[in-house]
Amino acid sequence: MLKYKLIKTLDIAGLKVFEPIIRLAYWDEPEVQAKKIFLFIIIPILAFLVFLGLWDFIAPRHTTKSGEVPTPPVVLKAWDGILIFHNRENQKMADFTLSGEARKNALLQVEAELQKIEETIAHSDAKLAELKNTQEAMVLKKLAPLELEFDQKSTEFNNAEKLRDEALKAFAASIAADDKTAKLKLLEQVKQSNIKKDQERVFLNTLKDQMNSIRSFVYKPAKLALSENSALMAERQYLLKRKDLLSDDNRFIKVDDAKEKLKEKEDDFLNSSGSSLLVKAKSVIRGEESILRIEQSNYAKPWTFLDQIVRSLGCVFLGFAVATIIAIPLGILCGLSPVFMAAMMPLISLFKPVSPIVWLPIIFIIVGGFIDDPEHAIMHPAFISSALTVALCSLWPTLVNTALGVASIEKDYLNVAKVLKLGFWSRLFKIVIPSALPLIFAGLRISLGVGWMVLIAAELLSSSEGIGKFVWDMFNNGSSETFAQMFVVVFIVGIVGLFLDRLMIVLQRSVSFGSNPSGL
Amino acid sequence: MLKFVSKGTKFLKAASLISIITFSTNTFTHAEQLNVEKDTLKFGFIKLTDCAPIVIAKEKGFFEDEGLQVEVIAQPNWKTLLDNVINGNLDGAHMLSGQPIAATIGIGTKAHIVTPFTMDLNGNGITVANSIWEKMQEVDSKLNTPKPMHPITADSLRPIVKEILESGKKMQMGMVFPVSTHNYEIRYWLAAADIHPGMYTVTDTGGRTNAEVELSVTPPPMMPTVLEAGSISGYCVGEPWNQQAVTKGIGVPVTTNYDIWKNNPEKVFGITSEWAQSNPNTAIAVTKALIRAGKWLDETKDGKLVNREEAIRYLAKPNYVGADYEVIKNSMTGTFVFQKTDVRELPDFNVFFKYHCTYPWYSDGVWFLTQMRRWGQITESQPDSWYHETAKKVYRPDIYLKAAKHLIEEGHLDKSEVPETDGYKMPTSDFIDGIEYDGKKPLEYLKKHKIGNKS
Repeated sequence: MLKYKLIKTLDIAGLKVFEPIIRLAYWDEPEVQAKKIFLFIIIPILAFLVFLGLWDFIAPRHTTKSGEVPTPPVVLKAWDGILIFHNRENQKMADFTLSGEARKNALLQVEAELQKIEETIAHSDAKLAELKNTQEAMVLKKLAPLELEFDQKSTEFNNAEKLRDEALKAFAASIAADDKTAKLKLLEQVKQSNIKKDQERVFLNTLKDQMNSIRSFVYKPAKLALSENSALMAERQYLLKRKDLLSDDNRFIKVDDAKEKLKEKEDDFLNSSGSSLLVKAKSVIRGEESILRIEQSNYAKPWTFLDQIVRSLGCVFLGFAVATIIAIPLGILCGLSPVFMAAMMPLISLFKPVSPIVWLPIIFIIVGGFIDDPEHAIMHPAFISSALTVALCSLWPTLVNTALGVASIEKDYLNVAKVLKLGFWSRLFKIVIPSALPLIFAGLRISLGVGWMVLIAAELLSSSEGIGKFVWDMFNNGSSETFAQMFVVVFIVGIVGLFLDRLMIVLQRSVSFGSNPSGL
Repeated sequence: MLKFVSKGTKFLKAASLISIITFSTNTFTHAEQLNVEKDTLKFGFIKLTDCAPIVIAKEKGFFEDEGLQVEVIAQPNWKTLLDNVINGNLDGAHMLSGQPIAATIGIGTKAHIVTPFTMDLNGNGITVANSIWEKMQEVDSKLNTPKPMHPITADSLRPIVKEILESGKKMQMGMVFPVSTHNYEIRYWLAAADIHPGMYTVTDTGGRTNAEVELSVTPPPMMPTVLEAGSISGYCVGEPWNQQAVTKGIGVPVTTNYDIWKNNPEKVFGITSEWAQSNPNTAIAVTKALIRAGKWLDETKDGKLVNREEAIRYLAKPNYVGADYEVIKNSMTGTFVFQKTDVRELPDFNVFFKYHCTYPWYSDGVWFLTQMRRWGQITESQPDSWYHETAKKVYRPDIYLKAAKHLIEEGHLDKSEVPETDGYKMPTSDFIDGIEYDGKKPLEYLKKHKIGNKS
């Protein structure tokens, strides 16, 4: 029956939350299903919406010195910015290798776009200048009374201070050598005068702070116009680069140029003789080599965030694979032999709590020792180091769970094996591993989660291309976008982590029979 | 006025002449590309505006003109950058002038690094926290105006430092790397006002022995954050991180390194000696592209830098410096915001080509060596000859001159733009304390300073 098939598929896919919808569609206990839908689908969605609402409400009310805390729309815009960068770089790469009619058409299109954008820019420039003037006028208007007050007060205070000084001087001069009370009074007066001076300074400094904060006033429309203008300028530059890549800098154009020149050289070579012949021969060969080189050249594209996500995934899976290969056999041995377990215990307890930040530099140095020529290495050393750090930090849950799973096999199974006189290997593969599988997979699931968390830190430190490096680079940029980009990363890391977890659940489900480990 | 006009037209004529030459020889250029040994390269950089020559050489296609495809990769800090160059992950990088020297003589990681190209002059500033600035203004009332007189020395800082010392603490300041220009500049600035910035010794690699102000390493982009958090009271760093402090309203740049030493060398392009040996033509080709980029960056028309705006748009891209256009713009177009009320024209704040700046001067290398000795990073006293030999090991004008020769032949460079020199600049006393530096006499120079090793 389709209904049960669907439900089973959902169950295996770890999407049990959607089961009530199917059941409801078949009108199977509708009231129960409605309740479940409300509890497992509506409530979480509502909670998320409330979270977004709170975020949207609180964020703009807290300004930091690096700008406002981004609201959800701002974060979404930052994500768009990341995508635009990605698409533009890919487009440039494609343009570099475009040839024939396609290239010509693209060039025409780019030129048309360029013309259009020039007009928009002129318009935007005018608007920006106007808004900037408005902002300046607003600032000046607000500043004027404060400046006046500041000037007045500072001259007033200066004069007052002079008067005080003179009075003190006169008083000091008037005191007789043995007049102790008057001397004490003088001390008191000097003290009072200093306190007064401090008060005046504090007053002036407060005024100054006020003035400074007015000077840093940002007129919202002007700020918006500025960012619009910047985006337009960036687009123009992008179009100009595309134009270059579609014309002079295009690979095929360069090859054609080089071929033409080679032909000239060849003709020249064939027609000449004597002392210059050798030089010309060399020049011909060089020309040929240069054509080969250009033909194989690629556009040197910078890493974009999407590439980095993919690479991070590759890195985490490599580390995870290494961890699995180490942890499962060790775990099985630990589970089978109490002696081995006892031997391993101190090592496990010692290394388990070590942080990735400690492992990374050590691994980095060790890996560096193996790789002399990173240029031609199969994998980048920073990538290997990050993966190994992930492996070292994530192997423990698998190891411990495997040992536990193997050690807690039901005695009956083992007795059966004894009766059947199974050998070591068949006992291992027919009985031990299958019955320990659910726990092993539970361990693997935790390991992958740990690995994913560790990876970001490792990449950040090793500057291996990936999400971690993106975070560090964007933080280093310190631009107005930075803050929002960090938030984007939070969501991306979370979503990818969620998917990895789901993936492990699916695997776990497909190996565990009978028992029903928790779904969420 | 008349003179100026005639000069202007002359310049225009020359410029148009050059462009004609460039145009007519362009076909020739392509045909005679250097036979490079390696054509896909990876260069590292730190997110600072002075990485501009590398970015421009890539974005304006100067590398491509040499048949090179170059990937330009941001590095997290100077140490990682250097390690990546040494172990071959990178072919070359934007480096602090002190780095190739220090690596070659074995301060920190030991490796023979050379430089055929100086990337820029000036470009750093010293910023103090608002609270310190207010105290400096109290000490010296002349600073308490919207536009105080420059240069500002550390004299007004001294009483504050002493006060903190008396309370049993030490003022903390940040710089970016132990062998960075910034370290030597902030030390110079402090020592010129009789504040001891601390000595490096065999056992004290943090350089805090006898310090009255303790300096610590913080990566450039972290500076404003750390200042805001109050862990340090001031720092010396390159742009855009001084302007960032003004924008955020957390600090006040008190001086630029232009005031500490006019037209001081800042960053170099570093490669390993091994790489230069096995890729001689590639090294020349790269240098060619970088020289062209430097020239492009400093191109002027009627005294105005014409290409900087375009350059800033490139630098503002997230895969390069990535800071906001407006922030980078300040210093790169020759204005510097000291306070909201104090915006000054500093046309020479970033020099990428003028004053023969791209040439790898031996005298620059010797100056850095004297500073390393002055502060004890070089632990033993050395004879004059050692300074010259070491500088010659690191600075490679031979590669630069070959590249320049090609560029002159191709019409990209004028003969007058390449210095005829033995590699030593004229003696200069353009320092904040007026002490004269003659690159030929390092030991004599060491003796002139009050604080620090004298031989």
